[in-house]
Amino acid sequence: MSKHTLEVLVENSPGVLARVSGLFARRAYNIDALKVGPTENPAISKMEIDVNVEGHALEQVISQLDKLINVISIKEILPTKVKPAPTDTQPDYQN
Amino acid sequence: MSTPNGTSMNGATSLVKSLEAAGVDVMFGIPGGAILPAYDPIFDSSIRHILVRHEQGAGHAATGYAQVSGRAGVCIATSGPGATNLVTPLADAAMDSVPLVAITGQVPSAAIGTDAFQEADIRGITMPFTKHNYLVTDPADIPRAIAEAFHIATTGRPGPVLVDIAKDALQKETIFNWPTSVSLKGYQPAIAPNAQSISDAAALITQSHRPVFYVGGGIIKANAAKELREIAELLGAPVVTTLMALGSFPHSHPLHMGMPGMHGSVAAVTALQKSDLLITLGARFDDRVTGKLSTFAVNAKVIHCDVDPAEIGKNRFADVPVVGDLKHTLIALIPALKAALAKNRPDLSTWLRQVNNLKSTYPLGYDKPSDGSVSPQYVIERIAKLSDPDSIYVAGVGQHQMWAAQFVPYELPRTWLNSGGLGTMGYSVPAAMGAKVAAPDTTVWSIDGDGCFQMTNQELVTCALNNIPIKVAIINNESLGMVRQWQTLFYEGRYSNTNLESKRVPDFPKLADAMGCVGLSCDRPEDVDKTIEKALSINDQPVVVDFRVHRDAMVWPMVAAGTSNDDIMIAREMAPDWDSQEL
Repeated sequence: MSKHTLEVLVENSPGVLARVSGLFARRAYNIDALKVGPTENPAISKMEIDVNVEGHALEQVISQLDKLINVISIKEILPTKVKPAPTDTQPDYQN
Repeated sequence: MSTPNGTSMNGATSLVKSLEAAGVDVMFGIPGGAILPAYDPIFDSSIRHILVRHEQGAGHAATGYAQVSGRAGVCIATSGPGATNLVTPLADAAMDSVPLVAITGQVPSAAIGTDAFQEADIRGITMPFTKHNYLVTDPADIPRAIAEAFHIATTGRPGPVLVDIAKDALQKETIFNWPTSVSLKGYQPAIAPNAQSISDAAALITQSHRPVFYVGGGIIKANAAKELREIAELLGAPVVTTLMALGSFPHSHPLHMGMPGMHGSVAAVTALQKSDLLITLGARFDDRVTGKLSTFAVNAKVIHCDVDPAEIGKNRFADVPVVGDLKHTLIALIPALKAALAKNRPDLSTWLRQVNNLKSTYPLGYDKPSDGSVSPQYVIERIAKLSDPDSIYVAGVGQHQMWAAQFVPYELPRTWLNSGGLGTMGYSVPAAMGAKVAAPDTTVWSIDGDGCFQMTNQELVTCALNNIPIKVAIINNESLGMVRQWQTLFYEGRYSNTNLESKRVPDFPKLADAMGCVGLSCDRPEDVDKTIEKALSINDQPVVVDFRVHRDAMVWPMVAAGTSNDDIMIAREMAPDWDSQEL
């Protein structure tokens, strides 16, 4: 596992925090810390999310977050981006 | 007839005018307290409203309509239980990428959060499985929310969008203002693929000797069946179509190896397993296709073309990701591949011989029951044979669904509907209703199980009253058949709670009759054809046929859950004879 900090700009609309935190819960990603605050533009809020994931899962976290309509942009601010390893990305299971 | 912007009206009228402006011609729903203001202008609208018997029926009907027409399906319900009854169809539509717009009434804004009568936080409930959702409390926001909902539902990777509207927002006066365009900062779906990834894909294809087109439901969403056929014939590589993609490539085409996955053909499953390149088009490496993921197509590189960037690398690493609308992607890839093949055309003849050998050695088949009873596969095979070639088939979930996927030779896109991702029992009858509304002149068969049918059959009343003459074939094995099959195989034949006794109760033909349909019954193999012909001859009423079939028939081939595709079984304790194959 490795720690990453994402800076996520979101529309300041009701329910947006639930959308983001719900996505993390649903996809079983761990949030270490979450900070939400205003920006100069009252229509846009800024989230800083500390996540603790395997290298490859980070790309999934970002892609899934980006699918939320209220998410405007995502930037990894810490550490620098890691290239994923070319392997299957899900463990085996019986369903 | 469009309403000019700037006209004064209440929120409810603004909602209906917005739906008209969005091009809606039909919606499925049930009124109730919170949505009641909207039903007054619906009474005068050009939009056909079909009054269903359960909101779940409205949702699946909207899905059936969308899957056949390619347009957004619309369903409408009231707050609380009306809204929560839409939860299953919304989750279903999310899993199968169906463009759906659901409108729900909500308690008045001042009552939200007070546990008011028929209050449910439907926006909160549906967040995980809608593409987006809205709670509207200001009537001025209604046209924009509706315009955005249709835009989001139908573009990019399609999906369901819910618009929850507080009752007072429907009642208050507002000025109608339909937006001329929709622009969302956080939503710009990819359309054109990256040029570099197209040339990388073309180059990788020319380096492969065992390529396979692994085609998923996205190909149908993108209306790219023609382009698929063109690229498949250009390369001359085998094609497998997943459960969601059946019909996107003609079943009869010599390059078609059938359906891969848990109940796929030996040729399709093995073509993927032994491939050196998966040309993945709008598919998502679902566990029902890959089997045990770490053993799936271990020697294959992957080209992954999808409109949804989050699918790239979700389950399987992509050597060449191509993000964009599939039709645009194929239109760009075909000339690039043509040019690359002109310089270097790999010899695929050995590979084709190998997969074709599997296809001819292990065709789909079934044993006739020794007691002279009706075989379920035979019923489905005969229905397909006796019905028009453009007929639409809508399955429930379970054994009958797999047989309908295996034994109907789909030649055209949008002729096969089922609940692939969520596996929603009860999908068939209401989805068939929606399909028939979208294609009133086409024969629509609901191929249903006796278990599934008992979940949603009340929509046959809706069909009977609204001139929606679908045909239902109940494959009645008096069991929850697929669960029973697993109990046979994995639980020592201990049939805990899978015996439905549906040959005793209910009497399906009588039930059909009570619902305003024609009820037929068939329990002898020699009567199958004439019963189907009778059903096909009735087109002014829905028809329900109770096909009483053998209960121990099983779906084969099978890759047991959690095992490798290499361990595919063609019958109980019977693997293909791999030693006789050159693979």
